[in-house]
Amino acid sequence: MTTLHAFRILSAALVLGAALLSPLSAWAGSCCGGGVATGLILPKYARSMIDMSFDMEKYHGFWDLDGKVTPDPPGSDLRQYRLNAGYAQRLASEWQAGILVPYIWNDNTYSGLSSRTDGIGDMTINIWYEAVDDTSAWKIRNLKDLTPSILVGASLLIPTGISPYDDVNNSFDVTGRGFYRLDGNLYIDKTLQPWNASLALNYGTHLERSVNREFGNYVEPYRKKLGDRTSALISLSYTYYIGTAGDKLTGSTSFSYLREADGTIDGVRDPTSGFRKEAVALSILYSSTDHDWSVRTAWSHAVREDGWGENFPITDVYSLGVRYVFR
Amino acid sequence: MCSVKKGFLFLLMVLLAGCGGMMDDLAPSGSDKRPAVIPGTTGPFVGQNAPDFTLPDTVGTSVTLSSVITTTGLQGAVLYFTMWCPICDAHMNNMQSNVLPLYPNVRFFLVDYVSGSVSDAANAQIIYGYAGSGFTVLADTNQTVLNLYQATMGTTVVVDASGVVRMNEDYKDGVRLQNALAGLP
Repeated sequence: MTTLHAFRILSAALVLGAALLSPLSAWAGSCCGGGVATGLILPKYARSMIDMSFDMEKYHGFWDLDGKVTPDPPGSDLRQYRLNAGYAQRLASEWQAGILVPYIWNDNTYSGLSSRTDGIGDMTINIWYEAVDDTSAWKIRNLKDLTPSILVGASLLIPTGISPYDDVNNSFDVTGRGFYRLDGNLYIDKTLQPWNASLALNYGTHLERSVNREFGNYVEPYRKKLGDRTSALISLSYTYYIGTAGDKLTGSTSFSYLREADGTIDGVRDPTSGFRKEAVALSILYSSTDHDWSVRTAWSHAVREDGWGENFPITDVYSLGVRYVFR
Repeated sequence: MCSVKKGFLFLLMVLLAGCGGMMDDLAPSGSDKRPAVIPGTTGPFVGQNAPDFTLPDTVGTSVTLSSVITTTGLQGAVLYFTMWCPICDAHMNNMQSNVLPLYPNVRFFLVDYVSGSVSDAANAQIIYGYAGSGFTVLADTNQTVLNLYQATMGTTVVVDASGVVRMNEDYKDGVRLQNALAGLP
């Protein structure tokens, strides 16, 4: 593993981390729960990594079932803040695992009601296998130089958040969805300095569960399953070297697609539950000369036009993150 | 740096330990734990007499539940609690298409508990396309009815003509609402 190679993987990992921690992160947080997408990837040379980020998500209405933009109620200001704590650990030369835990603050103001609640969100544990390493160079000299890095992984969303099925008073208390979800993840990344392109694909299935309580009130028990989830994220980044010391500034742009199919209640499809969202994002990342420290900021924007989503809130997410890598 | 990592993992454990009620989701129960209710008492639960209330609709007319359900020919009333969110809209849309047309002898109310005034509730009704929809929007500006029925977003209550609560739970896919309405005398 050359130093240059390590830097490339680090760059890719940082970009992916920034991207996955922001555009796909929330799900109707202010009224209906939250969660964080799967995501930390450890650089090849690193033993472990700590990542902390803070998100502010602001709501601007929603897309209805037909994809039509609908504003929030008059006099409303709906926001969610998230502090995301992440840790990744190398298990073997090609294997790594990670954990992400969000803490969520819901802050909702309507013309006739204000609510501020907080609690831990749904946590995610994940494992990656580094199937192929990127052997790219500054110039393409042969076909081998076109080889991307490919990672294959799995993750498990664990319902540690406060869900509608817990002992809660109302929907404003909710910070999680209450369901386990098992995801398969594929990440393909190619660097040709100073450019980098990546593609992240994800398919997840929620596990069916029993429900006997809704917002604190016991109800006749039933079985519920959320729909299968598909997401994709494509990003392009450019790295600018600052001075001669090796500090880097990486700018990225990305497009994300998220779709969740209709869930089921007692095995019967629930036509009110599926949703779709598309978003674009910009991020800037600074990494130190030795690449151990990095900081990033990101803005994920949902386009407020008909057809960019269905049955889902329209939000902007502003993120600030810091990361340290242990060698 | 090892101590930093240990400290970070400790912080994660503290965060996880601080979340009460987590076990309800980690190991969900399918047991029926609904409390037994005493018929004839007043309260929000199925089998109890529905708490009476009076709220203004979006043109300022007072609507009293007990007067509505005793109207000749009516089988009962449905209360749907809305905060005009995506899930609420999906529920209301589903109810409007699949339930309202089947029950002409039932009054359907949308209880708006987030608008602070009748005019804000009226604006919300128009913005979300429910003016002239068959629903009557009630402005619960002080969340009085919300609290009476221990309701929240998506809570759907069915009250029969004799004033007894027949259903009080989340709308979900509307199947249970239809079952409750089909069972009305």
